[in-house]
Amino acid sequence: MGSRFRRAVHFHPGVKTVFIPARLPPTTTMAGRTGARVLALPPETVLERPVATLHDIGATLEPDAVWVLGRSREPTAAARARHAIDAPVIHPPLETGGDALSRRPIGDDGLAFAVARSASALRAGDGIRSASDQNEDEREVDALICDDIATTTRPTALETTLDHAAELAAALPTGRTTTVLTGGLPAGYDERWHVAAETGTVRTVEHDPLRSSDSVADDCVAVRVRGAGPVDGYGGPNAVVELEFTADGLVSSTAHAASDFGLEAISGIGPKTAGRLAECGVTTRSELLETPVAALADIEGIGPKSARRMHQHATVLETGEPRRVGNASLPGENWSTPPLCIDIETDGLSPTIIWQIGVYDPSTDTYRAFVERDDPADRASVLQAFCDWLLGVHPNRALLTWNGWGFDYRHLGAFVARHCPAYAAEWESIPKFDLYLWADGDDNALLPGRTNELDVVAAELGYDGAATGLDGARTAAAYQRFMRTGDGSELEWDRHEAYCEDDCRALWHVYERLRDAPQVSAGSSASGAASSSSTAEQASGEQTGLGDF
Amino acid sequence: MGSDTDTDTDGDGDRGRDGDPDTDTDTDTNIDGDRNADRTDDRTAVPITGDELLETFPRARGSGDISVLELPGRDASTVSNAEVLRPELSGPLDNDLYAHQAAALSALSRDENVCIATSTASGKTRIYALQIARHYLDACARSGDADATAYVCYPTKALSRDQERELNDFYDTLGLDISVRVYDGDTERGDTRRQIRETADVIITNFAGVNTYLHDHDRWARFLSACDLVVIDESHTYTGVHGMHVAWIVRRLKRVLEYYDADPQFVLTSATIGNPGAHSSSLVGEPVTVVDEDGSPTGPRELVLWNPPPQAREDGDDERASGSSGDETPDDGGEDAITDRVPATVEAPKLLSHLTYHDAQTLLFTPSRKLAELSVKRASKHRRDRSRYYTNPDRGSAIEPYHAGHSRRNRHGTEHRLKTGLLDGVASTNALELGINVGEMDATVQLGYPGQRQSFWQQLGRAGRGTKRALSVLVAGHRTLDQYVVSNPDYLLETDVEDAVVDTRNDAVFARHLLCAADELALDESDGGAAGFAERDRLERAVEMWRRAGRLAGHLETGVSYTGPPRPQGSVSLYATTGEEYAVELAEDADERHDPQMEPLAKERVLRDFHEGAVRLHEGRQYEICAVDHATPRPSVTLRPIDADYYTRTRTDVTVLDAVSEESREIGPFTLHFGRGRVLVYHGTYDKVAIHGGQKKERMIPTESPPLSMETQLCWLEVPDRVETALIEKYCEFSVPEMDGDLAETAHLGYAGGLHAAEHATIGVAPLELMVDKRDLGGLATLSIDSHLATATESGDAAQESATPQNIAAAEATVREIASELEHEPASGWFIYDGIDGGLGFSRAIYDNFEAVAARARDLIADCDCGRVDGCPACVMDDQCGNNNRPLHRDAAVDVLDQVLGNAGEEALEAHLPDDEFGGDRRPPLFYA
Repeated sequence: MGSRFRRAVHFHPGVKTVFIPARLPPTTTMAGRTGARVLALPPETVLERPVATLHDIGATLEPDAVWVLGRSREPTAAARARHAIDAPVIHPPLETGGDALSRRPIGDDGLAFAVARSASALRAGDGIRSASDQNEDEREVDALICDDIATTTRPTALETTLDHAAELAAALPTGRTTTVLTGGLPAGYDERWHVAAETGTVRTVEHDPLRSSDSVADDCVAVRVRGAGPVDGYGGPNAVVELEFTADGLVSSTAHAASDFGLEAISGIGPKTAGRLAECGVTTRSELLETPVAALADIEGIGPKSARRMHQHATVLETGEPRRVGNASLPGENWSTPPLCIDIETDGLSPTIIWQIGVYDPSTDTYRAFVERDDPADRASVLQAFCDWLLGVHPNRALLTWNGWGFDYRHLGAFVARHCPAYAAEWESIPKFDLYLWADGDDNALLPGRTNELDVVAAELGYDGAATGLDGARTAAAYQRFMRTGDGSELEWDRHEAYCEDDCRALWHVYERLRDAPQVSAGSSASGAASSSSTAEQASGEQTGLGDF
Repeated sequence: MGSDTDTDTDGDGDRGRDGDPDTDTDTDTNIDGDRNADRTDDRTAVPITGDELLETFPRARGSGDISVLELPGRDASTVSNAEVLRPELSGPLDNDLYAHQAAALSALSRDENVCIATSTASGKTRIYALQIARHYLDACARSGDADATAYVCYPTKALSRDQERELNDFYDTLGLDISVRVYDGDTERGDTRRQIRETADVIITNFAGVNTYLHDHDRWARFLSACDLVVIDESHTYTGVHGMHVAWIVRRLKRVLEYYDADPQFVLTSATIGNPGAHSSSLVGEPVTVVDEDGSPTGPRELVLWNPPPQAREDGDDERASGSSGDETPDDGGEDAITDRVPATVEAPKLLSHLTYHDAQTLLFTPSRKLAELSVKRASKHRRDRSRYYTNPDRGSAIEPYHAGHSRRNRHGTEHRLKTGLLDGVASTNALELGINVGEMDATVQLGYPGQRQSFWQQLGRAGRGTKRALSVLVAGHRTLDQYVVSNPDYLLETDVEDAVVDTRNDAVFARHLLCAADELALDESDGGAAGFAERDRLERAVEMWRRAGRLAGHLETGVSYTGPPRPQGSVSLYATTGEEYAVELAEDADERHDPQMEPLAKERVLRDFHEGAVRLHEGRQYEICAVDHATPRPSVTLRPIDADYYTRTRTDVTVLDAVSEESREIGPFTLHFGRGRVLVYHGTYDKVAIHGGQKKERMIPTESPPLSMETQLCWLEVPDRVETALIEKYCEFSVPEMDGDLAETAHLGYAGGLHAAEHATIGVAPLELMVDKRDLGGLATLSIDSHLATATESGDAAQESATPQNIAAAEATVREIASELEHEPASGWFIYDGIDGGLGFSRAIYDNFEAVAARARDLIADCDCGRVDGCPACVMDDQCGNNNRPLHRDAAVDVLDQVLGNAGEEALEAHLPDDEFGGDRRPPLFYA
């Protein structure tokens, strides 16, 4: 895969880290802003990235506050962030305000954080409890920021402990849950620790804080610890973390690579090239577009082909209009009937069940879902029904997915072979297209959007999503609860089906936009462009570029 | 760490095999068991016998310590092919099966797992090759297109390629359309790989590959679903840390195979080891039938044990010159060695030269690549130095070096010239130990004892074929093991061979593989329990640990998924227990051509050998470590090439804290414990030692290394009160003049020296009984074992939280404080621990075999002719000793061990027991590593 590979790495809004090559389908972004947004940045990112990139991060994500993570004092980083991004900056070691804990309002909705300079400040202060007790006017804080909070894992003892549990126990109110945000843990970390108030001893840890039903003992402090630090991904850490809040608390966190912003967001521009461009006075995408291709091509390390490609991609990013590269036809473009857009839901990244298969048929504009609502131990029925329908009603149709060779096709193939062996051969012979692979893996298109997540791309291309508030991980977690309790009434089936349908329709939206997109000539001979999968074998062959070992 | 890619100054060169999956080595296990077809040779007599060697070698007579042992040969024992095999298979085969091949094939036809532990070149490959053929024919009979596949794992990539050819040839002979393909890191990506996965009947790979490929098991669905056989070739190489990883990779593979409804048989082939059954079942987690009655023939053999003569004065220049190359000085016993004998590094090349002069095609085994190169030069120099004797200097002088550092093409050339008789001799690392197809030599010479009997016999097996006589010479070095072996030749001839140690109790390694397993297939309740991945309780604890760390999500009832950074398999280091490895980088200002391209280093190793200022020898080039970055997540070591006239030696202090006994047993009045505890290692200072002469140029330079704290496995021996009291009294006059301070004055010093010496000796001889690496073991002799135990009043948790003392002085203070609070008289004794976080099972194996180890240690000390009360490097001195080998007391050590072993009784103590209860000073809490 090319240099844009790392752009495929993303973090899902929601609970857990997810990566496209093993995808749980992404959710829609919230339609419009519903709450405050805080941007968490490690000091290294602030110090190492060009100001123009920081500026682009600020302009793109529009945070209400910037939190420069601080286990140690980094005044220069804080100053640089303040200079580059138009939002208040929080850097815990520099928090003043007399008290050990300072209170910081965020945005206009009355959201507020308590910020601890360090874990020891928790002990020194009067604690959050008293802060709110003393002053009736002052609302309680929504979360405590303390970057010293982290976990320590000792594999030789099979034990993970919570650092500074005793300090938290001393500072936080008993009998209820307090959210603690920390850059000491990766974004997506979300566990509720119950700590005995007296001793700081960990009583238990809840792993499903969304469920939030376990009550907190009176002599206990419950700490919902949520990470805001960099997330390791393919190609390096995703260090730009976006935290979204509503009045009832933190809704989601999303981690981006810093290279998704500024000049480096353009395919073919890495730190070295960005440095050379900066020497020529080019620090932003619009400046790049103002520079003639011929002038770019003269810069060391940039040839005419890459210069042209940079221009094209910068245009796509600036205008939000996709472009097709070269003459490759879209997969299935020349078929008499369009492919069926499918999406699956599972119970996790290592699935034990495919419990929902959604199919959108663009030729009739109808949607069909196959869902296991009754018996989560039954792995076969959904697959059986899906295969019966597909092979019986649509024997000559192809399938279309977004990153199917990274997730949907792989698991469907394995599950059909295992649970519906009678259909295994037929399944193999169904033509399967992967639009993500075609566009990104095979470099046949330039897409707008900071990441290649379906929901981000679709939203950039004007798709108006259903805003179910779900994502793959939440859907999986909900089904896991059903599997454990056997109580299907808890599950909001309609909402989960709407989520799956939304992804299928978003996929077709992207397909149509790409079909209508203007073509530009290939910057280089686009390899395998013509071979885009008229058969499953070819398609899976192309997939070997993705992550094959 | 990887295997022997670095040949550095304190002899790590012999740590692993020369070449591993990531380097390159050629070894073969000839499929026919009858090799040497290329070299026709009618002679039945060896060109030179052991006695003739003694008579003809310059000045050999009269130098004393040479013995010649006669080992009888063995006739072939065969079984007719038709008795065991169906006609399709027996028909095309020319030769009958050896009895062990027949026995193994019979067991396999009963659906058993089999481990074949027989000698080199006894036709082990043929066994699984035939079993694969049987499965293939069965599958053909079941239905036209049914698959029967086999997964075959070799320890090295080069061996894989060698065997791919051999197996394909074999199936051609049988007329079977079985496709055998190698699939490893060198296999071209993309279509080639896909085609192999989708079509090959037999896939050959290594365990680093299996570890990686499991991530994408769905791509392997066809191959895995049809898998009937898993082969682990050269399984004895999987011991220690590497063995633990392999055991877990096999368990992960079994999980995935089960998912695809495959339930394959396992075949393991092993060199002769002491516990092939136990070792094999530890690796594969199932019962394994052992076949070790070797039916292949061997000729009679003379074994010459050659302890080099004293340094001859007129040869002084020559012998001393051995140090000038800088690489082997420490091998010869280090700075403190009492080296009045010619080093093996000098003597062995002379024997190579001599034997080839007398027409014996000879293979010399050396412990390092550098020595392989040097030996060739020294062999040639020997001819010139003795030109009056060797009147025709060109006779038998075609001698070349061989090791994994040479290009593959180069090595193939050497192999071919050996096979065709164009070469008279080769000096090789253990790269040739597993048996390149080079034909059989007339003679082997070993430069030093290779450390283990299985390796010793494996190397010897390179000489002799059929009924032909063979000659093998072992040239002893100064080391403990070498000297033990030459003075106790019976040891070599005993039928016992070392046990191979594989332990799956290391939780750190288990936990890491658990993440991979969850990534491959969701964990559920079926993974807990006797037949599962781990015991239920251990599984639950590990899952909870990773959930709290945010690396796993879900519940065992419904499935636990991996949620951490992508591809956890990539962070498994097959040579370390923690994931934390240090990248080795070349300094920015250094010439890139000198990039040592070293594999990442385990933290334990970095702190000991790669601190700032250390000088390491790697591939014959000196490097100085100029920076060490301990910061996670990407710690690193930076080095640059230098040209220094010194090497560095790190001083090490050790203490044990919070040991908890999990098991104990009585040995007479002694108590032996096994348990876990915290070992604190301080590599606090280092010395610069001149390469020439071994003088210390600078002493006690701080390393700035942080302390190393390990949670590990230990075993310890408690000496009973009466023994202690008597021996303190008996040796109360002992003093060590150079020792400083008040500790030197105490009456306990002689006894403490005895414990210290016994500790060194038990660790030193452990490799005689077990396949352990002495460098992965550490010890601590103490007058107060109790000060090192987790105290009853202090809860385990509180002890964990106590901060790690930052230097040895602080650690000693901690121990003293605990000692002062003890309410009873503490017991004395010594600890032996695994020097790897989480443990390796080595001290456990010593716990289980303590009497045997203690007996060896006792004999080693008692029989050493150094004549010094504080011993010598051949008996109780240890160049890794943190206390500079002081105090040591051989006689006291023998007395203690005699009491443990029941060699001496109560009467030996009576004479020394004081009339009153011992009323001396309160004992000092002394301890010595």
